[in-house]
Amino acid sequence: MTATLAKPPADIAWEPEQPRRKRNVGGFLNWVATHALGLALGLMFATPVVFVFLTAVMSDDQAFTADLWPREWHWENFVEVFDKAPLFQYLVNSLTYSLLATAGMLISSIPAAYALAKLQWRGRNVAFILVIGAMMLPPQVVAVPLYDTWSSLGLTGTLWPLIVPYFLFDAFSIFLLRQFMLTIPQSYVDAARVDGCSEFQALVRIIVPMAKPGIAATALFCFLFTWNDYFGPLLYTGEVKDQWTLSLALATFKGMHIVQWNSSMAVTFLTMIPAVVLFVFAQKSFVKGITFTGVKG
Amino acid sequence: MAVLDSISTGKRSVADRPPPVPRKRYPKWATRAPLLPALIFLIIVTQLPFVATLVISFMKWNSLDPAGRGFAGIDNYVNVFTDPDLRSSVVNTIVLTASVVLISLLLGLGLALLLDKKFAGRGFVRTMLIAPFLVVPVASALIWKHVLYNPEYGLFNGVLNWLGFDAQPDWISTMPMTAVVASLVWQWTPFMMLILLAGLQSKPVEPVEAARIDGASPFQVFRYLTFPHLRQYLELGGLLGSIYIVQNFDAVFTITSGGLGTANLPYMIYQTFYQAHEYGEASAAGVIVVAGSIVIATFALRVVSSLFKEAK
Repeated sequence: MTATLAKPPADIAWEPEQPRRKRNVGGFLNWVATHALGLALGLMFATPVVFVFLTAVMSDDQAFTADLWPREWHWENFVEVFDKAPLFQYLVNSLTYSLLATAGMLISSIPAAYALAKLQWRGRNVAFILVIGAMMLPPQVVAVPLYDTWSSLGLTGTLWPLIVPYFLFDAFSIFLLRQFMLTIPQSYVDAARVDGCSEFQALVRIIVPMAKPGIAATALFCFLFTWNDYFGPLLYTGEVKDQWTLSLALATFKGMHIVQWNSSMAVTFLTMIPAVVLFVFAQKSFVKGITFTGVKG
Repeated sequence: MAVLDSISTGKRSVADRPPPVPRKRYPKWATRAPLLPALIFLIIVTQLPFVATLVISFMKWNSLDPAGRGFAGIDNYVNVFTDPDLRSSVVNTIVLTASVVLISLLLGLGLALLLDKKFAGRGFVRTMLIAPFLVVPVASALIWKHVLYNPEYGLFNGVLNWLGFDAQPDWISTMPMTAVVASLVWQWTPFMMLILLAGLQSKPVEPVEAARIDGASPFQVFRYLTFPHLRQYLELGGLLGSIYIVQNFDAVFTITSGGLGTANLPYMIYQTFYQAHEYGEASAAGVIVVAGSIVIATFALRVVSSLFKEAK
């Protein structure tokens, strides 16, 4: 899985093919307006994140003021937070949850999506409607019976109730993968069958290589969703501190170990790193996968 | 609707497909056997918990009082509908989801149209715009609560102060719902923009050029060429956004802790379940959410698709 994601696409810049437009009289004003608007909106969306960073490097006292710019740059804040809370433990928990769930999702959802996209069988549309139904079901709705089941298995207080379901089923991933697989012409599968491939071989040798961008996008989504998940860890591990994930720890960080605001922001900034790295490397696949533009892109 | 269309494409591909090739090496069942476990799991795992929820919703079940467990009939449902807190949480969920999805789609559309133009520094602007998407949602809620809204050291009042205003409003207690909506819009707009931008860039250029030569105004180009092309991307963004925002828990839990009349259903279910330990009532509320979202989704789809039919 990591190999798929880590492989940098040839062209990260992702520029559209468009002929250059001729500038007319109003062209200059248009140019100014576009730049000003672009910059203003960009700033509007990025400012909170920049402010998080600036607060993270402020001194303890200054972080509680309305100052925008740090008087002194305390880079050591990023290191010190690791002493103030068992961040490393939380990081390991978060990575365990996200990586195992993503791996499990790939094992369970790729065959299911293949069955929904490329096999003809009675009840296929019914099964697909069930998948959509499951996708729209808020996790809180089925929390009661699931919690009860996991608790009778003695697994509440760990992250397993969150990881194991991904090895069985993930509706959203099946949906995305199916949509992407539909864009692969059926003739490839038929050709593989004529050549004597079993369905499983056709899936592994033909469909999986062709659906790589879709698989990468789905894996990215799954990773981000589990990395960001707050409700799940709160429900199952809320009372067991050494099982906390980063997102859960983050919310309780302020009252728990430290009152320093700069440390809170430093942790916030650190939690962004995996998402940023993944997104930079997989941006093209992500856009391609999510819009199902097909194998040619 | 993209999803419903794609259900029917399944049928279309049957017609397009070449006649089935006789298979010699494997019997039919053997070739498909490896896929069966996933399918069986699919049906069991998706449907069983919901059926269980349905059953529990008709039971009297408080985990602090295991002996009192039994059949409750429709009591839980009556409680849900008569409890003003639960009723208002239903309204809140709808308001929250509808406003966040609509506003972030509109903003995302504007941003995507802007980024579709070529200009110096476009890559930089795009990077800035994507930033909120990469923040862990719970962190984003914390940022809004403490970094922006805080009356003493928050950025909003800092800017107001810097501009010379004396007013130092307490944003969250003055406008709690707007505060939650704004933070979610900030978080979701980049996502909508990415989807719509990909849609815009997959648009064929020739019809636009032809329309320009024929004297179409930029508005007409947008109205009759760009917009219809973007329709499926708008639907996709709306669908994915709704799915996630209906179940949003982080923002409400962090920013207002469900207070000040902002509790939505996920928050209420969490509270009923985790604090009051009323499993039966929590399940009943959950069943109502699902029923409600099915009704609203069906209705919304009809309205939207009829609007588009008139537009054609």
